[in-house]
Formats: sequence, C-alpha cells, structure tokens
Amino acid sequence: MTERYPGYNVLHKRNSVSWNDQTRAVIDARCGIDPDFHQFCDEAEWKTLRSLCDHIIPQPLDRPVKAPIAAIIDQKLYGGKGDGYRDAHLPEQDKAWRLGLAAVDAEAMAACEKPFCELSADQQHWLLGKIQRGQASSEAWQDMPPAIFFAKRLLHDIVSAYYAHPASWNEIGFGGPASPRGYVRMNFDRRDPWEAAEASPGREDQARVENERVG
Amino acid sequence: MRRVPAAEARRRALASLQVTARSLNEKYSLNAPARTPDPEWRNAVGRKLNLSSALLSLSVLADSGLEHYRGSFQNRLMYLPLAVSAATVAASLFGIADARAKSHAVRDGLYVLAGLTGATGLGFHGYNVMKRPGGLSWLNLFYAAPVGAPMALLLAGVLGRGAERIRDDEACTILGYPAGKALGLVTSAGLAGTVAEAGLLHFRGAFQNPGMFLPVVVPPAAAGLLTTAQFRPGNIMRRAAKLGLRLTALLGFAGVGFHAYGISRNMGGWRNWSQNILNGPPLPAPPSFTGLALAGLAALSLIERGSHD
Amino acid sequence: MHEYPEGQPVDFAIIGTGAGGGTLACKLAEYGFSVVAFDAGPYWRPLEDFASDEMHQSKLYWTDPRIVDGDNPIQLGANNSGKSVGGSTVHFAMVSLRFRPEWFKSRSQLGYAVDWPLDWREMWNYYTEVEQVLNISGPLRYPWGPKRPRYPYRPHELNAAALVLAEGAEALGIDWTPTPLATLSAPHGLAHPCVYRGMCVIGCSTNAKQSVLLTWLPRALTAGAEIRDLAMVGSIEHDHAGLATGVHYLRDGRWRFQRARNVVVAGYAIETPRLLLNSASAKFPDGLANSSGLVGKNLMVQSNQAVWGVMDREIRSYKGPPSLAITEHWNYTDEGKDFHGGYSYMSQGPLPIVWGTTQASKRGLWGQALLDAMENYNHQVGLKIVGETLPRERNRVTLSDERDQYGLRIPRVTYSFCDNDKRLIAHSLKFMRQALEVVDAHDIWDEDDDTCHLNGTARMGDDPASSVVNADCRCWDIPNLWICDGSVFPTVGGVNPSLTIQAIACRTADRIRAMARRGELPSL
Repeated sequence: MTERYPGYNVLHKRNSVSWNDQTRAVIDARCGIDPDFHQFCDEAEWKTLRSLCDHIIPQPLDRPVKAPIAAIIDQKLYGGKGDGYRDAHLPEQDKAWRLGLAAVDAEAMAACEKPFCELSADQQHWLLGKIQRGQASSEAWQDMPPAIFFAKRLLHDIVSAYYAHPASWNEIGFGGPASPRGYVRMNFDRRDPWEAAEASPGREDQARVENERVG
Repeated sequence: MRRVPAAEARRRALASLQVTARSLNEKYSLNAPARTPDPEWRNAVGRKLNLSSALLSLSVLADSGLEHYRGSFQNRLMYLPLAVSAATVAASLFGIADARAKSHAVRDGLYVLAGLTGATGLGFHGYNVMKRPGGLSWLNLFYAAPVGAPMALLLAGVLGRGAERIRDDEACTILGYPAGKALGLVTSAGLAGTVAEAGLLHFRGAFQNPGMFLPVVVPPAAAGLLTTAQFRPGNIMRRAAKLGLRLTALLGFAGVGFHAYGISRNMGGWRNWSQNILNGPPLPAPPSFTGLALAGLAALSLIERGSHD
Repeated sequence: MHEYPEGQPVDFAIIGTGAGGGTLACKLAEYGFSVVAFDAGPYWRPLEDFASDEMHQSKLYWTDPRIVDGDNPIQLGANNSGKSVGGSTVHFAMVSLRFRPEWFKSRSQLGYAVDWPLDWREMWNYYTEVEQVLNISGPLRYPWGPKRPRYPYRPHELNAAALVLAEGAEALGIDWTPTPLATLSAPHGLAHPCVYRGMCVIGCSTNAKQSVLLTWLPRALTAGAEIRDLAMVGSIEHDHAGLATGVHYLRDGRWRFQRARNVVVAGYAIETPRLLLNSASAKFPDGLANSSGLVGKNLMVQSNQAVWGVMDREIRSYKGPPSLAITEHWNYTDEGKDFHGGYSYMSQGPLPIVWGTTQASKRGLWGQALLDAMENYNHQVGLKIVGETLPRERNRVTLSDERDQYGLRIPRVTYSFCDNDKRLIAHSLKFMRQALEVVDAHDIWDEDDDTCHLNGTARMGDDPASSVVNADCRCWDIPNLWICDGSVFPTVGGVNPSLTIQAIACRTADRIRAMARRGELPSL
C-alpha cells in the first residue's frame, strides 16, 4: 500500500518551535518504551496481548519504528490509572484484561486447539469477529460479556495506545505536538510548511520533497 | 403640474449645474491663472512624490509578499502585485535619483501599471470576501483578503503619475487642476482608506493596546487639516497640517516598531517567527502612512508655493 | 496566598474550584468574606506543566473509579470531568453560550419539564458579567435571541471544518455564526492570543484559554481567598441543630477538618450528590439536603450525537479550536419538531486518540478497515450536537458498595435516554446528514450514542418538596449549606452549560452579600 504522507516524520519537528521541553520529555519517554518489556502480564498473557495488538492494528512490516502498543497497555495496567469510569458489566480494568486475555486464549483453544498467538491471521480474524458479535461461549469469560469487553476495553485500550504514538501520526498526517508554535493556515486545502503534505495521485514525489522539509 | 419636455428639463438642469460650478470655481479658484514655478523646484517636488510612491510600493511588496505567502500563492495572479510593486519601487528610486526635470516614459508606464494592478487587486480582494460563507460580513472583512490593501499600490501609481506630471507641466497642474490641491485630495482620500483598513484590523484586535488607537486618531486629523488647508489659505492652517502629516509620517515608522512588539506578544515571540510573523500584526503595513504623509507634505509645499507666488 | 488555620471557622468552605466553585470563591472573597476553596486536583501552571500530548494530558481528568450503567451508560473521564484547580474548564472546549430565555420557564412557556426559579432578564445581566470576565471572542451580531452586548473580543478566524458547517447551513437556509469562545483572539494582559494549535480539550499551554484557573482564581487569591489543592473532601460535618460545621478532607495522606460557618458544594453533578450522600449521618440518614429524596436524581447529560463524513478537500480539523462555528437554529425554532427541547450543532476537531477510539468503538472498526478509515483523518468533517435531554428521576447518581483510594464509596451513574431524547437525536442526525450532503461530503455515518456535560442532580426550585436548593442555591434543609454548580439546573437546554454555571455563581454571590448585609445569614 502506498503511503498517504510519504517521507513525513513528525519527529523531525522535535527540535523545532512546535515542541516545548515538556512535550519532548513526554514523547521521548513514550518512544523509549521497550516493546518487549512487561510487568503486568505474565508470559502467556503477554503473547496473547501482543498478538491481539498486532491483529487489531496491523502495522506495516517495513515500518522502521513500530508503536509498542502492547507495552504501552501493560504499562497502563501496571500503573493502575483508569479512565474514570467503567461499564457496570465489566470488572476493574486490570481484572477485565486478565479475564479477557485468558478467555480469548480459551476460545482459541476450544475452536482450534491452539493459543490465540499461534492461530493464522484468518483464524484470528474469524475469532475476534465472533467475540465482537458476542458469539463466544467459553466459561473463561465468567460474568463478563465478551462483546462489551471487546468494544469498551480491548478496542478502546489498543486503539488509544496506538494513536498515542508518533508512528500513527505519520500514517494519518497529524501535525503532532504544537506548542509554542501552532498553525496559521486554516482554510480548505492549505498547509503550513511544518505540516504533512499529502500525496494526491501524481504528486507523490512533490509530497515527499515537502515532507522532508518539515521541521 | 405643467409637464416640461424631457429635453428642456435636461437643458435647464445642465445650465444650473454650470452656474454652480462657475461659482465654486470662483470661490475656490480651482482654475486659477497658471503660475510658472521653476523646473528645478518642480523636479524636487516630483522626487518627493517618487519617494512617497517608493515607500508605498515597498510596503505593498513586503506586505503582499507575506500575505500571499500565507495564502500559499493559491492563485498565480497572487505573484502579480509582488512583481509590479517591485518594479514600482525601482521606478521610484530611479525617479528620486533622476536630476532631469522631465518625466520618463518607463516610469510613467510603470506607474500606470501599478495603478491598474492596485485597482484589479481591489476587485479580487472584494471577490474573495464575497465568495466566503457570510459574504460581506465582519468575519470576512477581518479574515478574508483585506479589501483595502491593494489600494496602497493604486495610490503608489497615482502619486507616481503625479510626480511625472508636475515635472512636465509648467503650470503645475494635474488634469487641469492645481497640482497641490489635486494631490492633497488624493492624499486625504488615501489616508482615509488606510485609516479604515488599520481601524478594521485594530478593531479585530479589540484595541487591546491603547497604542492601537494612534493610527485611527493621528492620520485622520492630519488628513482633515490637509483638506482644510487647501480651501482655507493661511499659515496657521498649513503649519498645523504640516505638523499632522509629519506626525503621521513618524507614526508609519513607529508602527513597525509597535508591530514588532506585537509579534513578540504572541506565543513563542520572535523565536516562533515562522508563525508569528504571519499571525501577528503585519510588520510592513504601517509605512503606508509614511508614504502618504510624504505625499501630503509635497502637496502642501505646492499649495504653499501657489499662495506665495 | 493567604492561608487560613483549620481550627478557626472560615466564612465559606467551598468544595470544588470549577465553573461554580471557582467563580463563587472569587466573588465572595471580593465581597470581603473569608474563603477556603478545596480541590481534589493539583494547581497547574499551564505554561510549565502542560505537554502537547493527548495521552499525557489525561492527568487533567477525573479518573477515579466510577461505575456507569442504564440503557445508555455514559462515558465519563476525559469527556466531562476535571480533577484540577479550575475544574473541567481547564480542558473545556470554551463554547460560551447563553440559554434561550424561554428555557428558564420551559414548563409554562414551552410546555415541558419544569420552570427555573430564576428570571432570564436577571440572568442576562449575569451572562454579560461573565462574558466580560472571560474576554469572550464572539460575533458582532448574534443571530438568535434577544439583543446582547458586544463580546469583548472579536471572533476567531474559521478553520475549514467550521466553513463546512457554514456552507451547509447557508445551503439549507438557516443561520450560523462563529462560536462565542472563551479563548483570546488578541493579547490580554500577560496572556498570549490563541495560536490555533487545536489542543484545547487537553489543556491550553498558550494560556489563551480563559478558564476559571486563569480568570476568576487569580482574582480570588488577590482578594484573600485560599485555594487548597490536592485536598479531597470526604464528608461534610454538621452539629446537633443540623447546621454544617465544616468539612473532612484528605490531604498529604491524612484526614483533616476545616471548620466553616458555611459550606458550599461545587463538585459538579456526580461528586456533589456523592458527597451529600456520603455525608449521611444519624440525623440525615439519606444524606444531607435530601429531605426531598431528589439528591442524585434527575441527572441530565446532553446528547452529543454526530454525523461524520469525508470531503475531497483537505480539512485538517486538528487546527484551531474544535468548535469554531455553530448553529442554534433548532434551539430557537419550535416549528417542525416532534420533540420537546432544542439542540445546537457545532463543527468538530477530534485529536487522533479520540478519533481512533470513535471509529473503533462507535463503528466497530479494527484491523486494516480501521487503518484505512483513519487515513482519511485530514479529510474528515463532523457536525455534533449539544442536545437537550429531559429530567427523569430514574437517571441518577447513587453510591456503590465499592470504595476508592480514599476509602470513599464510589458513585454509580445510571442513565437512559427517554423517548423524547431519542426523537430529538433522530431529528438532529437527519438534519445534520443533509447539512453534510449539500456540501458534497461522502462516506457519511452517524455516531449515535455519545453524551456530554452533566447537570441536575440537586435541582433548584421554589418548593422544598420538589427541589434541593432554592433560587439562591441554598439548601432547603440546611440553611448554611449551599450548592453551586451544574447540579442545580432544573433543565439543561441545548447549549454548553459553563457560562450559565458561572452566571449562577455570580448571582449566588450577590444574593449572599445582600442577605448577609440584611442580617439574614445568622452564621455570618
């Protein structure tokens, strides 16, 4: 698949006036997260979590730096900071995740006699679709409704973690941190020189040149 | 009521207009007998006007450069005022340096071009305002293409043409009128327009700094005095007008300083110049006042000379 | 900052420093009362403390555990809470709208819900006061409602997302306007004007946002009020006579007690009833101020449904404040409606995490389908309502048996839309879909289950049997206990509530001063 914003890297703005020291510290820490480091998950949970993240957010294989989604989630669960609310059908987020990871694996074992991480991509897709539709039957879910866990915990946490990482911003052409410098050109089809240039058909090379100047 | 034939009515109306015009002429001596100031003196006045043209077109060059860069040169025509104002600056510098007491075809032509470009720009900017949602609204007057900005180029052209005419015309008239008065009127009108523009944009800025009232107070006063000085002969009036115009000229330069301070008042200050030079107050705009004030001073000296002779 | 000793009673202990409490703290301090205002969150310095990062800035939200249920369990946290000095105004979208005058008498003039015990003409003056203090940037002519004075600052330039709303409104023949916003369009004092960085809802690091933190609270400190941050109030104490005597609060790891002659609860529509209920005693077994049984009931969200689409033109809605254009057409037009109440709708500018989770949770997208949809980020546009919902007693805040890190029982928030709410939502989705279709948006979809704002769990009224406080925000049951935040709203209307909350706080302060001067407040 061709990139929409070829050559755009929001991190090139790191030393520009678009970033301040506070932001540099925060983003540096996030980019420095070891993708293999986990404290909350045990080994089995970790494998399942990573496979889930890879499947929900299939990051391009040739991407030089991938967002460490699983590690960001593990860090959040270990730290214990919540979202400020939870659906009454779900237990607290750490319990929900432990239960859910075990249940996803149990579903995989029941259906294919393999843990989730060893399923083929097609099998994973089929299984997650079933869970999303609430068509899961394993005892391992206990009282937790699979569809609510999938929508409000699993998708919510994985997607939040991904779009907190600069790799995702490059993909969607988001301007990223913007303080003290914000933006000037706000009308249709306008970009500041420090914003991502979109590769409309026939303009890929020009967009790449413009994106390499972003800073 | 008795019906008057249409042709007869028109004839009568015309006659009464002629009577009025004649009496106005006599009262204000618009077509006073020609005097003949010496060519050197006329050239000196012409050079003053060239200087005023130079300042105006320089302001346009920098301002439209910035603003059209901000507009990403979306339309190719947005390069035009840059080219024309640059050429007008060059022509005006040439005029300032030119010791010969006669006009020059290239200068004259460029000034005409500047005037036409300015007039076209007014049309384009007006269209830009009207095509946005809301049409002619405060919001669009604030943020769409500034309606008044191209007027500076139009004025640069008109004043430049004036500079050339004065050099050539021993009678020191423009379009048959005494040059001093004609230029005075143009300057006053130009000041009024520029004040409207500054007033609009300073209103957009909620007059948050008391200094922002200066360009809506000083130049209108100067324009008023200049206009009065044309119709009320007398030293005191002329001196007052001169003072007002000098203050206005000074204000044009001081305005750059104020605006530089304004830029520093935005987030990140001058370190964040790539944003603030576009989002902050426009640095190149205030010298338009200086350009116009110089033209006004030139007009005053013409009027002065006229009354001494 | 002046600091008051705990052992000596202050005139007013105010719990919460947001739109209600912060405003009231300022006004009361300026009127010469001794004031200590408590907030569970920290006292941020935005220029030093705020990063340009959606995830990091979740530190501004109330993220303590809460349980949501009902037919339409509401999202809390980032959406509608704040745990910071200044409350949720530190990260609000700055939309500063006045109520439609008739809403103050919606029962007698519009035929639904209940009347307020307030007169709109009096409120109109308090709105003006607040708009001046917040340096609102707004249009020169507001298309709807009675005449209002000119906003102190001029409107902001519109971004493309707002222009889409404007184009759609003009095509459909309804009025629109630049939104009156509490963010500077020109410098003010030491504050910079807005830089259009578009991160308003994660906290403004420019200090252009005119939050309570930056407007009322500096004045409050100057006038001698104390702001006690990182102080979680757990209960309100009362004496044998049933008068409030002070508040128990946790700070620096231990419980303390601040004596006070008056206590004001301003914790917003969840924490306010929670605190009143958690303060239950032998004398008040159902919680304080609850003889009507209405504390916690009549919770009103505002419906926050949206229609989203994709434009061929680049929009890049991450630039500029998120809601630069608005139409209140359906707030002020009563014809053609099959429901009570009204709604406004505004342009939108979601940041990546919010946009990603919206696509995932609301559309059920994941895998490549999600990534493909997200690639249109810079081309997507949305129109989102702030819609009126009707008060229903079944929508309520109660106490769960679970306890939080303070050892306090956590709130359970139960919410379900009623049929009228659903008809309003359906009307708005249909209309906004047209508004996107006429500007040639494609791939249009409805986000049909979001909510915003929280109001109404301690409503004001004229009758102690059907309200918790009177028009002065004074509890019927306990005369030196006051409630001053969105909880007192009897109805919500179709506009964001912050301006009205601040206007009520200004009025309450004036009423307190008047009553104190007349000797009608024996505790003072």
